[in-house]
Amino acid sequence: MMNGYDEKHAMDEDPFAAKGGIVSAFDAFPKSKPQYVQRTAGGGKWTVAMMVVSAILFWSELARWWRGSETHTFAVEKGVSHILDINLDIVVRMKCADLHVNVQDAAGDRILAASKLKHDPTNWAQWADARGIHKLGRDENGRRITGEGWTVDHDEGFGEEHVHDIVSLGRRKARWGKTPRLWGAEGDSCRIYGSLELNKVQGDFHITARGHGYMEFGEHLDHNSFNFSHVISELSFGPYLPSLTNPLDGTVDTTAAHFHKFQYFMSVVPTVYSLGDPSRMGSRSVVTNQYAVTEQSREVNEQTIPGIFFKYDIEPILLNIVESRDPFFVFCIKIINILSGALVAGHWGYRLSDWLVDVLGKRRRSGRSEGMLGSSKKGGAFHDD
Amino acid sequence: MAKSRFTRLDAFTKTVEDARIRTTSGGIVTIVSLIVVFFLSWGEWRDYRRIEVHPELIVDKGRGERMEIHLNISFPRVPCELLTLDVMDVSGEQQHGVQHGVKKTRLRPQSEGGGPIDSKTLSLHAADETATHLDPSYCGPCYGANPPSNAAKPGCCQTCDEVRNAYAEASWAFGKGEGVEQCEREHYAEKLDEQRHEGCRIEGGLRVNKVIGNFHLAPGRSFSNGNMHVHDLKNYWDTPVQGGHSFTHTIHHLRFGPQLPDDVGKKLGNKNLPWTNHHLNPLDNTHQETDDPNYNYMYFVKIVPTSYLPLGWEKRFSGFREDHGAEIGAFGKGGDGSIETHQYSVTSHKRSLAGGDDSAEGHQERLHSKGGIPGVFFSYDISPMKVINREERAKTFIGFVAGLCAIVGGTLTVAAAVDRAMFEGGIRLKKLRSKDL
Repeated sequence: MMNGYDEKHAMDEDPFAAKGGIVSAFDAFPKSKPQYVQRTAGGGKWTVAMMVVSAILFWSELARWWRGSETHTFAVEKGVSHILDINLDIVVRMKCADLHVNVQDAAGDRILAASKLKHDPTNWAQWADARGIHKLGRDENGRRITGEGWTVDHDEGFGEEHVHDIVSLGRRKARWGKTPRLWGAEGDSCRIYGSLELNKVQGDFHITARGHGYMEFGEHLDHNSFNFSHVISELSFGPYLPSLTNPLDGTVDTTAAHFHKFQYFMSVVPTVYSLGDPSRMGSRSVVTNQYAVTEQSREVNEQTIPGIFFKYDIEPILLNIVESRDPFFVFCIKIINILSGALVAGHWGYRLSDWLVDVLGKRRRSGRSEGMLGSSKKGGAFHDD
Repeated sequence: MAKSRFTRLDAFTKTVEDARIRTTSGGIVTIVSLIVVFFLSWGEWRDYRRIEVHPELIVDKGRGERMEIHLNISFPRVPCELLTLDVMDVSGEQQHGVQHGVKKTRLRPQSEGGGPIDSKTLSLHAADETATHLDPSYCGPCYGANPPSNAAKPGCCQTCDEVRNAYAEASWAFGKGEGVEQCEREHYAEKLDEQRHEGCRIEGGLRVNKVIGNFHLAPGRSFSNGNMHVHDLKNYWDTPVQGGHSFTHTIHHLRFGPQLPDDVGKKLGNKNLPWTNHHLNPLDNTHQETDDPNYNYMYFVKIVPTSYLPLGWEKRFSGFREDHGAEIGAFGKGGDGSIETHQYSVTSHKRSLAGGDDSAEGHQERLHSKGGIPGVFFSYDISPMKVINREERAKTFIGFVAGLCAIVGGTLTVAAAVDRAMFEGGIRLKKLRSKDL
């Protein structure tokens, strides 16, 4: 039906001719002949004001659309899992030969982590006073982190970076940093670093002294050489993405006692960061793990095994953080809606102001003063504000 | 026409008919905008009719609940006679050799295709071999063990089964029953050896406390000795079968609570994505194979309570009910259409009981612990968080009407602006043309 009319239009020589065609009978927007249209200064001002308002609205909407929105969803992890990677980089103030690194997990396995991780002798002083090293739960200046003040820079208030930053960081090549060279002297500390595959079950990763804890290996070590002061530069689960900060990264914990037990209790939450709707093509994702940690450390007596213990457990619920932007078409519709709304509102505003001026003017005219005549235009300008 | 004060406020001013022009371009714009309005309104209507499933995460506040485990697992190389299902949990509750609600189906040996053996023919056989024709004064000896509490004749062991129960209660190994007259009479050893090459499918449901626990399928009678859980493995080891038995298994089905209906699953979205809330049992149709009789499989299951509330369930809500007497399989399905079930995430682990490292899988650093019971173990843990999948309309009726107004108003306003631009542009063009001429 409609096509028929369109064809008719196509044959029409002059589309703007004010003829009484069939199509033109449909015109729901009758225009007034120019000679009947009056342009007023008040109307002009309203038009300008409206354009300014529309521009502001348009700009803010554009900015919001460009920034996109973050949605946090969750799901129970699918599939049968087997392994979980752990990445760590830790400096302990003891000689490498005196340390044992092992994992014991709920599946009954003992993982000889030491064989998979690299050991480098190093100097304690090079690590403990390095920049960015702080105690867990405190910032670099030693103040307690309360979690307040996130709202200033972070929209979501979760204390997280934006997803697009995380995703782009996640694509960077991962490599372990070099241990600073030892000049002459024998190092007093040991840097243990590398990645290791664990069973994806509850477990305990621990660094203990030779001859303490496990019966079979190593001879007994002199108690005076125990010092489990340590600096954790990296501790993360999943693929090694050094640029993502984890709660334990860059933390130091020192002790003067020989028998000291440091325990970290960690809950690992699988997390997927994605850019763009994951059901669409072209979205990028980073699959990683976050964790929550509590530290418990105390001096122990000589019957207890001293060391550094990381106890981890895996949460069944996976967190999915998506940063997405509306499709362009939806954005256009939104813009059109806003602009037309502003247009209509402006039109009404103009009429209202016009009416007010008129009513006030009439009252004044009927009152005492004749000197205020011609104030209607000024009144119009006043209502612009 | 009476001119009131409001006349000036008229937002819908009408132009006098004489001063109006109707143009072809205006007509086209009108038609196009009408099409757009129809199109968008249709979309809005669809949006209004759409039912969305909103997942919510809450802390599970239910208490004292029990949970159902539904399983269907095939063991092609362990006969039914040897297979035992035990459940234990941290509350101290133990269910040994679960029979109620669980059906064992004998499977043909793998060399014969492995199909199920018709159970009717089996029961026929069993009927003429039972010891019904015994002397009424007969009281079978229990061979030093205390008679079982549930014996048919108090103080006696009338059947081979009762002797075995008595032995199990005394925590003694039983073996094939050599020298036990009840068992010889019933040909227990022969029957056992007859079954040796068969497999077994175990299916059914059991009800457990909703606390941390484990259930396992292992060979032989099980009993608790102090706080040790022991299986009588004698018959498993002493087997005439070439290569021995092994815990090769296929999990056809494992779920905790009722299965969501298929149509509900569809609404929950694409199941191929790892992050949808599509209800899926990750262990369904998984298969593990080994030739080593000394092999142990462990599944670490984390259970997340999940409920599904369909649209309008509140109206039909009839209060919480907890019927412990209900048949297995009846749990979790409300008369209001709501479903209380559980999802789970799982990690699998396998090891040889001989210990050793995991160099076969490329992990020389991984040392397995030694000892234990061959079998398939499921240890489950309950998450404190609960997922609620709630069906909701995407929009309320008022929202729909508002959306409709926005569409009509917006489109018409924009169309008016376009039309006006075309009209004025046309006039300018005409003026230019007339100047040129």
